Amino acid sequence: MEQDALTFKNVSAGYKQRRVLDNVSFTVKEGEFVSLIGPNGCGKSTLLKTAAALLKPLSGAVELFGQDVQRIKPAVRASLLGVVPQKIDSPMAFTVSQIVMNGRISSMGWWGTPSSLDHDLVERAMIYTDVLGLRDRFFTELSGGEQQRVALAMVLAQEPKIIMLDESISHLDINHRQEVLQILMNLNREKRMTILLVSHDLTLSAGISDRFLLMEAGTLAKAGTPAEVLEPELLSRVYDCDLTVQQDPYTGYLQVSGAIESLRRRRKLEKSVHVIAGGGSGIELYRRLLIEGYEVTTGVLNRLDSDAEAARALNIPVVLEQPFSPVGADAIAQAMEMILRADTVVLSQVPFGSGNLVNLELAEEALKRGKTVLLAVGIGERDYTEGKSAVDFAARLKHSGALNWHSIHELMAQLQQQLPH
Amino acid sequence: MGMKGSPICADNSFTGKGKVKATWRVVLFLVVFPLLLALSMLLGPSGIGIPDLQSPSGSAILSLRFSRLLMGMMTGAALSASGVVFQALLRNPLAEPYVLGVSGGAGLGATLTILAGSGVLVTLSLPVVAFVSAVLTLMVVYGIASQGSSGQPSVYSLILSGVIVSSICSSIVMFLVSTASVEGMHNVIWWMLGSLQPVTASQQLLSAGLIFAGLGGIWLLSPQLNALALGREMAHYQGLRADVVIVIGLLFATLLAATAVSLSGMIGFVGLIVPHVMRALFGPDHRRLVPLAALGGGTFLVLCDAAARTLLAPIEIPVGVVTALAGGPFFLIILQRRMKQAWIA
Repeated sequence: MEQDALTFKNVSAGYKQRRVLDNVSFTVKEGEFVSLIGPNGCGKSTLLKTAAALLKPLSGAVELFGQDVQRIKPAVRASLLGVVPQKIDSPMAFTVSQIVMNGRISSMGWWGTPSSLDHDLVERAMIYTDVLGLRDRFFTELSGGEQQRVALAMVLAQEPKIIMLDESISHLDINHRQEVLQILMNLNREKRMTILLVSHDLTLSAGISDRFLLMEAGTLAKAGTPAEVLEPELLSRVYDCDLTVQQDPYTGYLQVSGAIESLRRRRKLEKSVHVIAGGGSGIELYRRLLIEGYEVTTGVLNRLDSDAEAARALNIPVVLEQPFSPVGADAIAQAMEMILRADTVVLSQVPFGSGNLVNLELAEEALKRGKTVLLAVGIGERDYTEGKSAVDFAARLKHSGALNWHSIHELMAQLQQQLPH
Repeated sequence: MGMKGSPICADNSFTGKGKVKATWRVVLFLVVFPLLLALSMLLGPSGIGIPDLQSPSGSAILSLRFSRLLMGMMTGAALSASGVVFQALLRNPLAEPYVLGVSGGAGLGATLTILAGSGVLVTLSLPVVAFVSAVLTLMVVYGIASQGSSGQPSVYSLILSGVIVSSICSSIVMFLVSTASVEGMHNVIWWMLGSLQPVTASQQLLSAGLIFAGLGGIWLLSPQLNALALGREMAHYQGLRADVVIVIGLLFATLLAATAVSLSGMIGFVGLIVPHVMRALFGPDHRRLVPLAALGGGTFLVLCDAAARTLLAPIEIPVGVVTALAGGPFFLIILQRRMKQAWIA
């Protein structure tokens, strides 16, 4: 039975005003090769910083080989865990060998004089990462790929039991990326080194990882083998775009790709959607609908509304009304005309007040005329009318057959279903 | 910069063959700087050469020159070493005691002390008050820079708030001077211009103690300063107590700058440029750089002072003027030629 190398126990972590990790629990066993994946901003870097005791958890605990990482002495921690950051830079003119020697800093004496062991380890690390020939060059003069290999050499010289890499290979060219991955795989297989790799290349990671940790908005969405985690539906939800997963018939590797098919379909669709929005709630909807190829109309909007500006900028036909005045009969008639021409009516997450309640009446009328109406959930939190009349309205719409949508991704899927095949 | 494309740069100053060259440079420096100090003993408003030691005035002149040499060594070493530390900890070539408001804060503290009166107690409390007010200023600067950021303030906000706080401090000093008595005004302005007029023996002794403590502390920190060159985060990952090192380093550097200000007033340039030149000549390894920068800063200031008192004798030029006027072009040439070794941005 392998030892637990890194354990997160109900960890919440983040910064002063912003909680980034929310109740994350997982275990990485010694000798495992684990890829940490998830969209930008989901908390991967924060997770690494918390694992390396750079951030203190707000609650919960992080354990390195069974010890609370916050209580481990820094020098001991460095002998257990090494971190290769996204990028390191040295403002001063240190040479490559001086930089790599930094990996030994907490093992050397107080004056930082390297022993012959330190020299050996540094040289070995430089051979391993193929930077020995660069040893006398200034670090700052190297290319990005060379710098990244030097950084890896420095962390290898540290001789940790776990190496965490924070998107360290994302900006390497394909040749050096393969090379660094090869180094990591060798370390993992030959030295039983535990590796936690933050990765954006799901296909590449699928080929080399024992396990995946998939993060979504600060939580752990799923942990498991590549086949378990690389579920098209799960990935599409987490990354909020269509992804396909295929198994290579020859190698058995899993391949994740953005669905080319749906890209190809992005010609003009003979389908139109009328959006009822306001207060900026429509902007993302307009954008996505246009990208997918729908014809979009919108209204009634207040002339000063940011959605009105967006509609104008995107060249979307829009019905406008003067600011700070009730919606007039004229505008209502125009909007009704648009709705009748549209196939579907979508209501955004617009807040309702007495001024724009008439938009819900338009939606009700659309339902009566046989249009599909898709309603964003959670109207109760956006209802500023007296007596919560928008909530009542929504209930009535639901009763008459309006559908709910939760996320834009889901909405797009619902719209797809209504397309003729 | 022109060498960028060459496979192995022509001047590997700090390793292999280059290491030998750099070592020779250190030896050369260690031979030359005492000679330069000796040269400064020959210069003065009373003439060039060794004064007549038989006459009482001659030996008085020599002892005066010697005490100015001591003042210059102390002040220059403190300013230069302090600059080295600020640049290393903030990882920014613009960092120095002036930019971060440390000198300004120390100056304000010193002004208040000088205006409070004269006497042994006051002059002895001068470095202490300067240090305390410099630390307080640094805390204010850090506090302002931290506003709105999550955790660590950025170097840019630190420098920006340092410049602001610094100018506020100097405005307050101006206000105090303009409302002070004639005698107080004279004392403060004289001190502010920056000069190496010897202070009382007790103050010199106390300042020497503080400066030695500061230099020793920084030298002991120098392996950690090397590791911090890759940033606080990376140093943490490598097992350093990075935040502790940063705080201790800032305190030592502030102690040095404040003591220098309390000794000799506002002398610019030394804390910014000398560290860069020494780094260009001897490399960025702080174990070597810290003592060399201290010696270099001291020697530079002593030479400037010798020039300041000799050139227009009997008129004495403020030494700060000479540091900038004479040192500027000289250092520019060195930095131009060895830019790559100095700091690559």
